[in-house]
Amino acid sequence: MKSSVRVRFFATAREAMGAASVDREVPASGSTIGAVLSGLAEEHPRLKPVLKGSRFVRNGRYVGGPRARVAPGDEIGVHPPYSGG
Amino acid sequence: MTCEISSRPLSLSRVERHLGDPASGAVVFFIGRVRRESAGGRRTAALDYETDRAVVLARLRDLERQALRRFGARRVFLVHRVGRVRVGDASVIIGVAAPHRAMAFRAARFLIEELKREVPIWKSDRWARAPAGHRRRTRPRPRGARSPG
Repeated sequence: MKSSVRVRFFATAREAMGAASVDREVPASGSTIGAVLSGLAEEHPRLKPVLKGSRFVRNGRYVGGPRARVAPGDEIGVHPPYSGG
Repeated sequence: MTCEISSRPLSLSRVERHLGDPASGAVVFFIGRVRRESAGGRRTAALDYETDRAVVLARLRDLERQALRRFGARRVFLVHRVGRVRVGDASVIIGVAAPHRAMAFRAARFLIEELKREVPIWKSDRWARAPAGHRRRTRPRPRGARSPG
């Protein structure tokens, strides 16, 4: 049974992390996107400023912010400001 | 499907084929192309585009629905490149068919502006050394002005 979430990074978030995705252990309940990302930002300080302007996706849907809950098996996307066109 | 993400060169005629509608008297196209930029003895060779495929098509379809509802457009087709796009090549094509030109222009403008703000697509520069005669420093443009159009 899964006990981790997968966090996917794009653009400047990926550059800050040096990886396109990481898996992170989370408790069975009660964790949030913010908690997961705060832990990663402590290990990767360049990620912290990127997170301030980012939007977050959980399992293919946008969430309101870092307080959104996550559970084992979830996939989180970190979206820095967009620049298509 | 009227919204696409493509890793192949974009075709304007293909977009046009999706816009056939006898009640539409106006068709507007927007083509965004990669343009050359020079700075510090370098110049743009290409842009690399990436997206989050988990959400990008849903986001584009939402914009399409808004353009149909808010501006009276009758057909919309939108396609964006991913991967490496060379200078001069199209990175995005938007086509709108509507009964009247004002509707079509407004809808096309809405679509490109919202795409840049609300759709998970990112670009990054791929630089090449400028030829000796072109190595003058130019003022870097702000990020928001980097894109075509």
